[in-house]
This record gives sequence, structure tokens and C-alpha cells, in this order.
Amino acid sequence: MSASPPDRVRVLEALRDVQDPELHKSIVDLDMVKEVQIRDGTVQVEALLTIGACPLRDSIVASIEERLRSLPGVREVRVSLGVMTPDQRQALITKLRGGEVSAQRRSSFLTAESATRVIVVASGKGGVGKSTVTVNLAAALRREGRRVGIMDADVYGFSIPRMMGLSGQPTLIDQMIIPLEQDGIRVMSIGFLLPDEGEAVVWRGPMLHKTLTTFIGEVHWGDDLEYLLIDLPPGTGDVSITLAQTLPQSHMVIVTTPQVAAVKVAQRAAKMAEKVNMEVIGIVENMSGFRPAPGADPVYIFGRGGGLRLAELLGVPLLGEIPLDPAIREGSDAGVPIVASAPDTPAGRAFRQVAERLAERVPVPTR
Amino acid sequence: MSPKMVTPVEVGSVVEPALRIVWSDGHHSRYGWHALRVHCPCAACKGEWTTRRHVDPASIPSTIRPLRIERVGAYALRPVWSDGHSTGIYPFNYLRGDLCECEECAARRAAPSAP
Ligand SMILES: Nc1ncnc2c1ncn2[C@@H]1O[C@H](COP(=O)(O)OP(=O)(O)OP(=O)(O)O)[C@@H](O)[C@H]1O
Ligand SMILES: [Mg+2]
Ligand SMILES: [Zn+2]
Ligand SMILES: [Zn+2]
Repeated sequence: MSASPPDRVRVLEALRDVQDPELHKSIVDLDMVKEVQIRDGTVQVEALLTIGACPLRDSIVASIEERLRSLPGVREVRVSLGVMTPDQRQALITKLRGGEVSAQRRSSFLTAESATRVIVVASGKGGVGKSTVTVNLAAALRREGRRVGIMDADVYGFSIPRMMGLSGQPTLIDQMIIPLEQDGIRVMSIGFLLPDEGEAVVWRGPMLHKTLTTFIGEVHWGDDLEYLLIDLPPGTGDVSITLAQTLPQSHMVIVTTPQVAAVKVAQRAAKMAEKVNMEVIGIVENMSGFRPAPGADPVYIFGRGGGLRLAELLGVPLLGEIPLDPAIREGSDAGVPIVASAPDTPAGRAFRQVAERLAERVPVPTR
Repeated sequence: MSPKMVTPVEVGSVVEPALRIVWSDGHHSRYGWHALRVHCPCAACKGEWTTRRHVDPASIPSTIRPLRIERVGAYALRPVWSDGHSTGIYPFNYLRGDLCECEECAARRAAPSAP
């Protein structure tokens, strides 16, 4: 004899496990389940999408079907999709922002008590590997099961979309921007918003400020986010200042190269951090020794000791030394960080060690 | 946050007769509204290219008050003044080191060999 069909309460309870793939919250909690009808063994569900052109609609339907089919007594599942009205959408946005609509609509890490740890990746001069370090740290933290986001603050020469293998436009739910995602890493970059790739943006001060505060305040990073890594443009300019004025809590990682001569420039980043009360949590030395062959002794093409020297000067730990390895660049060019494609190579391990130390220095609070 | 910078743990209300700050090291500071406005560190008040140290005190009404005071990042306060001025970002170490009106700080600043 077959089991009797579930009732409405049971169905809703089951649907609670189904998450909106972009919003990372249960579709029941988001009020996306509009209708549930149960007749004999057939369950009919109407779900409301935030926007009609939701790119992940098939995935939502499949998840609902799969979850309900696993209930005893269910023979057939029919899912139909509707679209939210502007009012329903507004209610959803309010909910996502954490309840009451406040005057400033603060996203979670705009409060000093936020559980999200914000890590700014900075350097004195350009081209030392900030973006490379950012994507690989994100991949390494993700591997450890952390919920991670990358905010590309290099609005002048963004490279995060390419390094993460992402392109296309983010979903907009009214004025709220949903970050793109790769391997569970949430990513936002000006590169996703420009009509033409490679188009140079001429930034006026207020526009720059607005863009960055939008990335922080209007992007739905999700209140479950544990680490937000921010990739800075080179130097210590207007972008850093805007971020420092906007973020109530953030930490800085400084990337430098092994030349001792680079230490002085890298110190500028630390000076700026001190001015705005950002804690420098450690140094990453990038492009350290190069191994001409696996197992061969490393050759120190760019000198030695710059990272350690800087760490000692600032009284902060050297989080790790990343070898100079063409596979790192190839990974970035192919859109797959080496930590994701080859985690057990020396380079992959070096990044993972940095991530581990970073997570020790800035642990996420236990929830 | 950096353990190095002393930060406010309590900032008084704009309706009080003066700005009151209690710092993370326990120090209590007090700032008259007029003096605080006069010492606005923004480029327009201080002059970016001149050696002028602050705006002319006579140009600021004695009744000046902030309408509200916002926190800026992890390092400063920004008052929105009743004369509409709001571009001054007062870093915590400026407030504590240069402007605190308490006897102890005033004496320290007056000392000729002050560090
Ligand atoms: N450890 C490494 N081994 C080999 N190549 C590397 C390494 N780190 C970075 N690169 C390569 O060096 C170049 C510069 O790196 P990246 O773009 O990450 O630097 P950046 O500091 O973000 O630069 P910018 O200041 O322009 O933003 C890239 O081509 C990258 O692939
Ligand atoms: Mg970069
Ligand atoms: Zn001013
Ligand atoms: Zn004092």
C-alpha cells in the first residue's frame, strides 16, 4: 500500500530546504512559494521568481521537483512559475536587507558588529600580484568551506572577472545587485557592468565614490558571507580612501615582491592603513623563488627577503611566500585559480597556507 | 580593528552643550561646538595650499551646532553643521591629540617640549 500524500504543512516544510540559487535563502522564507495544491498524489506548486528573465529558473524548478518527489506519497510534482509584483519584490529586498527598511539600507558589513570579515588586499606598487593573491585566497578559503566574496575595487584596471572566468551581467532585482558566482565564490566587479569589455572608464570623483559605495551597500553579498576580499588598484589613492571611509571594520593584507628595494613603497600602504585605523594582519611575498624544474633548488630571480623585512618593520606576520610559477599566470589567464585546479602543487599549497594563517588571524565568529 | 588607535567608546549627543567623547583608554574629552567648527580640517577651511591653520573664528556664528555626527569608517567623525558645512572629517587622533580641551591635554600641548 502506498503512503498517504503529505499535507500542505509537510510540503512547505520540505520546500524550506530549497534555496534560491542566487539569493542563498530558502524560497519559503523569501515568500517565493505562492500556491500549494495537493490532489491525490499530485503536488502542484506555484513559485514566484524575482524577475521574469531569471537565468536560474530551471534550476529552481528542478530543485523543487527533486525535493518534493522524495516525500512519501507523492506521485507527481508540477511546478509553475510566476513573477513577483513590484510590491512583492520590494518586500523581498527589505527582508534580504535584514528586516525593516532603514534610512540607509545598510548591508550587513556596514555595521561594526558585522560577522563578515573584510580583507583588503593592497600593495605599494602595481603588478605585484594583488589580484592573483585575491582570487587564490578566495579559492583556498572556499575549499575550507568558507563563504567567500570578492569585490573588485580596481575600477581602473579590473582583472578579477577574467581571473575568475566570469563574464556577463549581474541579476538586478530592482536596485539590488546580485553578485555573479563561480564555484560558490560571490564576485562583483565594474567589469560586469560595462557595456563593452575593455572599455576604459574615466572616473570623476563622485562617480567613483558612488560606484564603490554601491558595491558595498547595494550588492546582495548575503548575510551569511564570512570573508569579503577586496582587490585594490595599485597604490594608495582615492579608492582606498573611499573604502576606508565606508567600511567600519576591515583588515589589510599587503602583497609585496622579494626585492628589499620594494619594501619602502609597500610601507606606504601600511601608512595609509594606520591613518584610517585599518589593521594590517600580514604580508604576502609574491614571486618568491622560481624552481626551474620540479624538485630543483629555487632561484631567487627577484632577490630575497623583502616580505620578511616588511613584516618585521611593521611588526606583523609574514603570512607566506608564493613562488614564481608560470602555472599561476596560466591559471589566471584561463579563469581558474591554481588553488582550484592544482591545490597540491607547491604554489597551490603556498596560497592555502596563507589562507589558513589569514583565517587564524581573523577568525569568523562562531554562529 | 587596530589596537594602536584610541577610539571613542561613547560619543555624546548633539543636543548637549558641548561634544563629549569617552575614549577606549578611559580618557574623557570635551569640545566646544564653536571651537570644533573653527578647527574643521577640511581643505576648504584649512586651505590646501596656504599655511592658514583654520577658518577665521569671527566668521563662524557663536550659536553653531551640528545637526548630527556620523562615524567615518573606523577612524573619524564627520559633523554635519547647522551652517550646512559637512566636508570636515575629524580623525580620532586629531580629536584626541590636537583638540581635546581637558586640562591634562591642554597642559601637555602647552608644554614647550611636548612630543
Ligand atoms: N607568483 C606568480 N607567478 C607567476 N606569475 C604571477 C605570479 N603572481 C602574479 N603573476 C602574474 O603577474 C601579473 C600581475 O599579477 P596581478 O594582475 O595579480 O598583479 P596586480 O598587483 O593585481 O596588478 P595591478 O597592480 O595591475 O592590479 C599577471 O600576469 C599574473 O598572472
Ligand atoms: Mg590587480
Ligand atoms: Zn571645513
Ligand atoms: Zn584630554
